[in-house]
Amino acid sequence: MSKTINNVVCPICGCLCDDLEVTVENNEIVKMKNGCAVCEAKMVHGYKSEERILKPMIRKDGKLVSVSMDEAVKKAAQILTDAKYPLLFGWSSTVGEAQRIGVELAEELGATLDNCCSVCHGPSVMATQEIGIPAATLGQIRHRADLIVYWACNPWASHPRHVERYTAFTDGRFEGSEWQSYVKKLKADSNRKKMEMASKRISRVEPPTKAASFTGPPPQMLEHKPGRKMIVVDVRKTMTAEVADYFLQIEPNRDYDVIEALRCLVTDQELDVEKVGGIPLDTLREVADAMMSCEFGVIYFGLGMTQSLGRFRNIEIAIALARDLNRKTKFVISPMRGHFNVTGANNVFAWQTGYPFALDFSQGYPQFNPGENTAVDLLRRNDNDATLIISADPAAHFPSVIMQNMMKHPLITINPDMNAISRLGDVVFPTQWCGIEYAGTAYRMDAVPITLKKVVEPPPGILTDEELLVRILEEVRAIKAKRGEPVGQAEPKIAPHKPTKATKTSRECPIQEKPKRVTKKTKKVA
Amino acid sequence: MITLTALREFSVPIQAPCITPENFKDKTLAEIKKLPATEGNRNVTLADLFKIEQSPQETPNITLNGDLSKVKRVGQAMKTGEIVINGNIGMHTGEKMAGGKITINGNAGCWTGSEMKKGTIEIHGDGGDYLASPYRGNDLGMKGGLITVDGNVGTDVGCHLKGGIIKIKGSAGRFIGYHMTDGAIYVEKDCDVRTGACMSGGKIVVGGTLEILPSFTIDSIKPKVKVDDTTNVAGPFYVFLGDRSEHGTGKIFANKTANPALQFYEKYL
Repeated sequence: MSKTINNVVCPICGCLCDDLEVTVENNEIVKMKNGCAVCEAKMVHGYKSEERILKPMIRKDGKLVSVSMDEAVKKAAQILTDAKYPLLFGWSSTVGEAQRIGVELAEELGATLDNCCSVCHGPSVMATQEIGIPAATLGQIRHRADLIVYWACNPWASHPRHVERYTAFTDGRFEGSEWQSYVKKLKADSNRKKMEMASKRISRVEPPTKAASFTGPPPQMLEHKPGRKMIVVDVRKTMTAEVADYFLQIEPNRDYDVIEALRCLVTDQELDVEKVGGIPLDTLREVADAMMSCEFGVIYFGLGMTQSLGRFRNIEIAIALARDLNRKTKFVISPMRGHFNVTGANNVFAWQTGYPFALDFSQGYPQFNPGENTAVDLLRRNDNDATLIISADPAAHFPSVIMQNMMKHPLITINPDMNAISRLGDVVFPTQWCGIEYAGTAYRMDAVPITLKKVVEPPPGILTDEELLVRILEEVRAIKAKRGEPVGQAEPKIAPHKPTKATKTSRECPIQEKPKRVTKKTKKVA
Repeated sequence: MITLTALREFSVPIQAPCITPENFKDKTLAEIKKLPATEGNRNVTLADLFKIEQSPQETPNITLNGDLSKVKRVGQAMKTGEIVINGNIGMHTGEKMAGGKITINGNAGCWTGSEMKKGTIEIHGDGGDYLASPYRGNDLGMKGGLITVDGNVGTDVGCHLKGGIIKIKGSAGRFIGYHMTDGAIYVEKDCDVRTGACMSGGKIVVGGTLEILPSFTIDSIKPKVKVDDTTNVAGPFYVFLGDRSEHGTGKIFANKTANPALQFYEKYL
């Protein structure tokens, strides 16, 4: 028996595409429409992996042994309460409801709480705190933006439907799609190549090779091109750069200098230098002109900026550029958030504590300081003495020194799959795949909350992240109460919002019913 | 004088903002031993962490011994007196300091002298990152006082500097004097990239090599420069004005002999 579920939300990247059509047969996803390749890899194949953890495990004599859920929860709670400075890390690939319990658990334990954004877009959040951010939702970009700048990111690979759904290749209300012109460009390119091959065969003379140019075609063409324009700034020619109208190739680690120069040009100042970041000043002037002459521009920036030399200062200066451009035209700037709910982790933490990441509850109240409480810095100094990792795999991504320090102390992991970090854990919990096996709230890269759907039933005996964290929290409170330490009150559970047709909430706009027209017929009935 | 010696090697961070001369003043040894601190998430007393002794000697008021690289917030908001630290010290030492003196015979942690208003910090080892820089999101940096470092310093030193003087005998990391509006920074050796980014006032004097951001413009060549009343540095120096993207008039003094790469700026003079 197969059924098709429409409007399923994709739990992969920050785009949170909500138009998937999923076909389910015998409690298994067999087919999917509209999704990108990355989405299909997880939704159709990845989640059924043979490496799925089906029972909680505890390391005994160096080997992981299956145990009951009660035993594993007790062991985990014991490790966390015994620790003087535990670290709770991950959170960006789980739902907001679980993140909320995570904050409660961290407060109860006096732990440090950090999410994956400290190794991706944490610098963007820090820059926003320093200078603010002129941002817009993806819907506004889709309908209005006529200049799209992708700076140090490659959405063609990392957010495959970003260009198609939200920027250059989408038909907005006021701006058309550039898909047709891209197809024409592709055809022209392949024809040119064919001609070159043919001429090579006939004349047997090598065609003159192009001198390796550092930048793309002259930027003056940007002024004459109708419709949306797309500029890519990067250190290498990526697939996104191939699609773009103009590609600016800058030297690595020179983003800050190039943006500083652009800021000076936007504010009508002359520069003493001839080249900035390997780009001739005239080219930069053309790019600044293109930015100033658009009607609605947007800069999307990626990890090439947040994790290269300068880090959050790069973002600060990019936001300052957007601010300067707003004196001449409308310009917004937005980060390309990676995991599907990393924005949610920031939002939920900020809603609960006032701070988005890098939190320390050891004093009883939240202290915020990236560099001091962020996972990588903390582990480099070997400060913590127990770790809980949820919905993340630092073993695959963190530097080896940091992992060595993490492995000196007990490690608890909560992941659906037997990934690298689960293999290293002392207590290994299984969990359900959120967005596939249970529903919840996730925040899109522009901080718009979207509800993930449940598509298939989970394997028996496996809890959701939220249920599991609640059980660990209850056990932690029980242990602390036994020791005679003060314990926080359990918060009343927030029931999920279910709008019903019969009841009207006060928020709804009161729609006045039209007075019925009095006709002869109704008069007669009365 | 009170002497605190670490009882053991600390494994988790310790927050001890109670270690200030004002706090210890007019207290008996028994009272000082009971002062609160935290070891990770546990509430402890100073006696749990340190061996505490008293001696009749007047200055310095407090001496700390041992490896204290995990002890944070020593001398926070102190106003008078003197603290001597024999060993490495952790983060936020002398934060919001309003007077007195801290001498560190070792390396200092990050955010040392953060948001300080007055007083002196002497570091006889290396200074960390964010020396004299304010807390995240705050644009009120160091307002006055003097910080001297014998070794090198990390990144983001003297951000949002509003006054006071920082003297560094070694090299400095990137973004030194970021967004500074007043005060002076003197680096005897090299600076990493983006010196004085977004500065709108004050001066940075660099004896070694450095890179100038495109948003700075050359002003003149000067034979010497005065850092403060006691320090005059002989040049010659290129004087750069900036940061023009912030419409600033801050000055960077770059040593002419150490920076032949900046020679092309001379054509604009």
